[in-house]
Amino acid sequence: MRSRISENESLKTAFRDAYSAKGREETRHEWQSQTMSRIRQIGPLKPVAGFWSAFESMVWRLAPVSCLLVLVLALFFVNMELDVDSDYLGTMAAEMEKPSLVEFFDLEG
Amino acid sequence: MQNDAVRSSDEEIVRQVLGGNVNAFESVILRHRVHVLTIVKKHVPENAVEETAQEAFVRAYQALPTFKGTGAFSQWLSSIVVRTCYDYWRKAYRSQEIPISALTERHSEWLEEVIAQMPEEAPDERESQMEAREILNWALEKLSAGDRMVLELVYLEGHSVQEAAKLLGWSKANVKVRSFRVRMKLEKLLSKVKEQGRGR
Repeated sequence: MRSRISENESLKTAFRDAYSAKGREETRHEWQSQTMSRIRQIGPLKPVAGFWSAFESMVWRLAPVSCLLVLVLALFFVNMELDVDSDYLGTMAAEMEKPSLVEFFDLEG
Repeated sequence: MQNDAVRSSDEEIVRQVLGGNVNAFESVILRHRVHVLTIVKKHVPENAVEETAQEAFVRAYQALPTFKGTGAFSQWLSSIVVRTCYDYWRKAYRSQEIPISALTERHSEWLEEVIAQMPEEAPDERESQMEAREILNWALEKLSAGDRMVLELVYLEGHSVQEAAKLLGWSKANVKVRSFRVRMKLEKLLSKVKEQGRGR
């Protein structure tokens, strides 16, 4: 079986040595202050929002909208004139009224 | 015992930073800069080391609320640094900023010599390192960003598939498949170098 070049132990060692030597090279340290100034620009961190805290914040955000909606609907229903003759509900109410009154006053023969 | 002390103080600093003390992060940089630089220097070209290290620390800062403290902080940081290096290469490949190097007869000769050596015969380190690095850089330039990272982590640094997967945030299967393919690619590239030398 033909041996692989990349698996040759001497070559592998030479490559690994050359590669790890890269990690030992000297570097300047000015980048640290630049990093800190970038971090200060970002500012304090916000904690990761869990499910309930996200839910809570959403509820509070939606609360004024919900209140407004309830108010508008209440006004709408107060000002709405129900036309009993043409309204389906009115027809239903009239139909239900007859037997119930008869039953109530015990007028049935 | 000492590790516990280091770990607990890392966690203490993290708590301070999360509590709103941004300046406490400077201690994180001071404590881990050597570790971060060692990783970055191995993976990216010299002219991009500072920028990548800076980016890695900024990313670590932004990801700090996700640090659960279940493992060592340095391990958590390493994975951020490795992923930042990977992103550096992805960006470089996209913008076609990969330097093209060429190999000469000297490299082919060196390769032949090293292969012919017995494993215990260590080649002269200084002479050898230059050629090894040039061949390695030439081969790495021919690989994609992902293949490059896998080759470096598994083949050159000797990490296990599981460790490499954890560092890159990939699945074990993905790293395993890539690792196999990239070794095949490396084999082809090295054969090419060897044959070039014979052809001359």
